[in-house]
Amino acid sequence: MDYSEAANRISRKFAQGGQTPDVTKIEGKLKRLVDEFGVQPSEAERSVISELAKEYNLPAAGPGGSAAGKGGGTEEKKIAEGVPGEWVTIEGKIVALSAPASASIAQSGIIADDSGAIRFVVWAKSNAPAMAEGSWYRIESAVVDEYKGVANLKIHSGTTIKEIAEDRSLIPTPSPIKDLRPGIGGVRAKFIQEWEANHERMLQSGLLGDETGTIKFVIWKEPGKERLVPGAVYNIFYAQVDEFNGRLSLNLNAATILQEEGEIAVSGGETSFTGAIVHIAPGSGIIKRCPVEGCNRALSRQNYCPVHEIQPKFVYDLRIKGWLDDGEKTHNILIQRDVVEALTGISLEKAQEIAENNPLGMDEVFLQMRDAVLGRYITCHGREIDGRLLVNKCEKVAFSTGDHTALLNRAGGAPS
Amino acid sequence: MSTNARDMPRREGAFEREPARRVFAAELRECRYQFKDGEDEKSPTFALLPSGQRSNRIYLVGTLTEKTRQGEQNMFYRGRVVDPTGTFFVMAGSYQPEAMQQLAKIEPPQFVAVIGKPNLYQKPDGSWLVSVRVESITVVDKDTRDLWVLDAAKHTLDRVDAFAKEPTPDILKTKEQYPTIDPSLFRKIAYDALAQIKM
Repeated sequence: MDYSEAANRISRKFAQGGQTPDVTKIEGKLKRLVDEFGVQPSEAERSVISELAKEYNLPAAGPGGSAAGKGGGTEEKKIAEGVPGEWVTIEGKIVALSAPASASIAQSGIIADDSGAIRFVVWAKSNAPAMAEGSWYRIESAVVDEYKGVANLKIHSGTTIKEIAEDRSLIPTPSPIKDLRPGIGGVRAKFIQEWEANHERMLQSGLLGDETGTIKFVIWKEPGKERLVPGAVYNIFYAQVDEFNGRLSLNLNAATILQEEGEIAVSGGETSFTGAIVHIAPGSGIIKRCPVEGCNRALSRQNYCPVHEIQPKFVYDLRIKGWLDDGEKTHNILIQRDVVEALTGISLEKAQEIAENNPLGMDEVFLQMRDAVLGRYITCHGREIDGRLLVNKCEKVAFSTGDHTALLNRAGGAPS
Repeated sequence: MSTNARDMPRREGAFEREPARRVFAAELRECRYQFKDGEDEKSPTFALLPSGQRSNRIYLVGTLTEKTRQGEQNMFYRGRVVDPTGTFFVMAGSYQPEAMQQLAKIEPPQFVAVIGKPNLYQKPDGSWLVSVRVESITVVDKDTRDLWVLDAAKHTLDRVDAFAKEPTPDILKTKEQYPTIDPSLFRKIAYDALAQIKM
């Protein structure tokens, strides 16, 4: 069992408060509790957190607990001021309702005021009145806690909910992508890249970008959910910002999404590397893709798609997966079809002909492409995502007499 | 001693491929020290370059001047690849089937690009052999060879310059392991290699 993820999560939590706990120590404690003492992982995590909180003299987080004992913790607050572990009273508007994830939850969604927004959960046991999307409520004595690193408002049996007559319209200000934090957030961004949906419950996933950076988004299949249009600009409010392995992503299922006419000059991510191609990975060359609308997965040799099974009417495509090495660092690269054609001089039609008429079939295309590019110096331009450069343009490096002269001068000295 | 799975060392963070260092034959052949980074069976092995940098993998371009097939049961190929400063000894055996097939197909002389791992052997007579276990070898053109000479010269000069500045742990280890080698020697080697490229 791997504890590093949990340990990092715990350490990040304390790092936000300016503390620097030792991750290895945390990991060791978790491991000891779970492996040696048979404690449930969630319970082990909780106990390590409270031990550290004690060590740093912080109030313990978690539902109920010591916060209740502090009394008077239910003062009225702005939503953005709620801190995990506190009892709060807030006034806000229900801006989204989502399908409860479990039978013990009566309602869940997002509540907002002019300071911000927070996810909320109404426990079925609380017998709270159902709240309606678009209405304002005063919620007294709810608890802010944390679930998967995101602040969450819990409405339990001790909470009172009153509908209030408010009709302010809330206009949240989008934040730059680079400033997003786990929780609820809004962006004004362009849909710059659509990805293969890698789960059958997934409606769409891809990349959004603005002037400050890019972020992954996902929309899960749910009645009434619509796909975004690649290339379009959107104002997105009340999206859930999740964190996984230190990377943020946007879950748009509960978000308010408005398409607009504007244009955004997406920056960031666009970069280039120069080096030698030192490896061409299996899966390069000519490949077959699943023809099902929106799937596009690479098929196995037996034309098998992990989701749509055997697909005899596959579509051919070209790609090169490999490593570009500048002598100091090696970059993982993925070269798309038109760039592969230009770089190798082998068009998709030609590759198809080779694959269908050669005893080695698709392997022959791999070998010819490998021999054409492996060991060569090239410059690749593209966008780097999750440590991989998606190459949309590349060129061979040309010998420069200027570089040659400069190096001769640098090596210095008169010829011996 | 416990052999539990949880006692296995784990790599932190995402996988990072070891970069392929650029080094001239004249420098590589001076290597006398290799070490493992870590206790694990799968920990990478590094050859310490005498200019002060560890190297798990190298990339070189030169002229394949000869190749020989050896062994019956455990067949393998040896080859000699020449750069402006000397000769690299490369080999590919049955553990590198792809590299062996590539090498088998190439008829010397040809310009070749080689990606491989340096290995040190001490022969029974006490002399040392540095060979490169090939991961891949492809035929390239002269332009690629010339680009490599520039690239190898640049990295050699970078290492020599770094050697004179702040000592890294690898540089300290180099001073300890190669007390008689003056890295400024490699500056001259780089110069001579560059000077051999005709305008």
